Amino acid sequence: MPHVLKAPLTVEFPFTRSLGPVQSAFLTGLRERVVLGVRGSDGRVLVPPAEYDPVTAEEIRDLVEVAPTGTVTTWAWNHEPRRGQPLGTPFAWVLVRLDGADTALLHALDAPGPDAVRTGMRVRVRWAGERTGAVTDIACFEPYDGEPEPPGGHPGVFEDPVRGIVAPARLDYTYSPGRAQTAYLDALGSRRIVGERCPSCRKVYVPPRGACPTCGVATAEQVEVGPRGTVTTFCIVNIKAKNLDIEVPYVYAHIALDGADLALHARIGSLPYDQVRMGLRVEPVWSEGSRYPDHYRPTGEPDAPYDTYKELL
Amino acid sequence: MTRDIAVVAFAQSDHRRTSDELSEVELLMPVLHEVLERTGLRTADIGFTCSGSSDYLAGRAFSFTLALDGVGAWPPLSESHVEMDGAWALYEAWTKLRTGDADTALVYSYGKSSPGSLRDVLTRQLDPYYVAPLWPDSVALAALQAQALLDAGHADEPALAAVAARSRADAVTNSRAQVRGAVPHGDYLVRPLRTGDCPPIGDGAAAVVLAAGDLARRLCPRPAWIRGIDHRIEAHSLGVRDLTDSPSARLAAERAGAFERPVDTAELHAPFTSQEIVLRRALRLGDDVRVNPSGGALAANPMMAAGLVRVGEAAAAVHRGASDRALAHATSGPCLQQNLVAVLEGDPR
Repeated sequence: MPHVLKAPLTVEFPFTRSLGPVQSAFLTGLRERVVLGVRGSDGRVLVPPAEYDPVTAEEIRDLVEVAPTGTVTTWAWNHEPRRGQPLGTPFAWVLVRLDGADTALLHALDAPGPDAVRTGMRVRVRWAGERTGAVTDIACFEPYDGEPEPPGGHPGVFEDPVRGIVAPARLDYTYSPGRAQTAYLDALGSRRIVGERCPSCRKVYVPPRGACPTCGVATAEQVEVGPRGTVTTFCIVNIKAKNLDIEVPYVYAHIALDGADLALHARIGSLPYDQVRMGLRVEPVWSEGSRYPDHYRPTGEPDAPYDTYKELL
Repeated sequence: MTRDIAVVAFAQSDHRRTSDELSEVELLMPVLHEVLERTGLRTADIGFTCSGSSDYLAGRAFSFTLALDGVGAWPPLSESHVEMDGAWALYEAWTKLRTGDADTALVYSYGKSSPGSLRDVLTRQLDPYYVAPLWPDSVALAALQAQALLDAGHADEPALAAVAARSRADAVTNSRAQVRGAVPHGDYLVRPLRTGDCPPIGDGAAAVVLAAGDLARRLCPRPAWIRGIDHRIEAHSLGVRDLTDSPSARLAAERAGAFERPVDTAELHAPFTSQEIVLRRALRLGDDVRVNPSGGALAANPMMAAGLVRVGEAAAAVHRGASDRALAHATSGPCLQQNLVAVLEGDPR
């Protein structure tokens, strides 16, 4: 196998979501140790409750309190809990139909082992110690052999209802950029800029992505370009980006490197922003230990005539 | 406007656990070239291009726009994309051809699951309020469905294992498949599902070409005519559904005309053994129907492509005369939440 670059990549967002009135009542109820369902248009009590009837799509708002006890309708034994799941020790995933409800809620059941779990077994909500108005306010279910706990008849109206949730999501990847971009990044590491030529239209793409976007064929012939190039067009950035240590205003430009048929983009430095112009000749500036140019600066050559780069705009 | 639309060519990549040396477009491009070559068409001849993929798999934003580099988007294409399995891209392309807006379509899809942790990635498609915060992974949800099936008496664990063994034995003749031949049924991954009940995780791509009317006959000696195609979705809340049945698959099959005459072959997108049992009942497939002669999703399950592969495999069986009337099925979401059914026929011989 050819040499392949790899790097860890973490995609992480705190998703902020607003709640509809039924979701808000349900999650606020969990905070107050009350489980609410909603009556569907066919009279069934849905738990967890939906904003709209799953069959007729009608808006449904008739909240009904159900019991914190119920019956397992199906289960699956999870001997290796994964990140983010309700329990860190082996547990059963369960669908639980709470007493008073006609549909089932997905959650975890804390049980000593798969032999202690069966469809039809009775369970009870174990509340989380700290509750914020989220489905995780139910820590999990636990086996329960007592009488059904009667629901309290709560109307579903609360002081200080939860209006939204913040759901953190994180996914970890090991990213590999593929053959063409690996070759490009490897060359950049030794301060060479290497594009690839299309065998059909003969254009040189930099950075290369492995395919000619015009012809739809693989590029393979490597061509060193630059390092000098010409500013084809540019913009002046006046808003400071978060976590970016560059004083505004600065210039971001399209640069056609000598020998390339596609402009790449980079920052122009070492020159006041209002003196950057189309046709300006530039070269890369590499900072110590960096795998890519920090910015481009003027070479001092005369500006390139418009005709030499007009096809690259 | 009523026009006959056919699948005239199908191609797929090898499906492998990893493809580190290839970007998405590098994975996809040879498949696009192969499918076009089978018809003699060039990109510029194609009336409509539609693809299916998901950026969550490899964690790479807008990967579908980069994938277009492999098509060659000049002159500018009439193009669309679905964040779904390519079978749904095929549905969109079929609709486009039915309207008469185009006479040919290129449909492709790809999935590169190897950079991420697929079981966790798939939790992000779930209800974000009540379900996703619990991070129930894809195998866990399928296991809940499998247990419901066992409880209902529709299957037992040996029956599940038999589905796995038959699928992987059939995959021996499919050089593209990822898992072929006899493999141990393994330990529980999430009980009652064992590793053998679960699909392999892998990278892969697939493409088909659709054509209308006489053009289809010129491009393919025996076109696979799409006699009907439909897709249906169920409520997203798992606890509302009867997990032992698939009313959405049945309704899609009915609307696609699958029950009008028997099929001889069915390519079912059943990533888990238990789901094949649910689908066979819902689609009323008897023992005389060849189910997944390709090995199905238990032999190769490239996300976003495995459903399109089912349509492609069913069409390829018609192309080579191995089938006269085939059912192709694709699924999406947890526990067969959404289902697409197409009925493909060859001209009488």
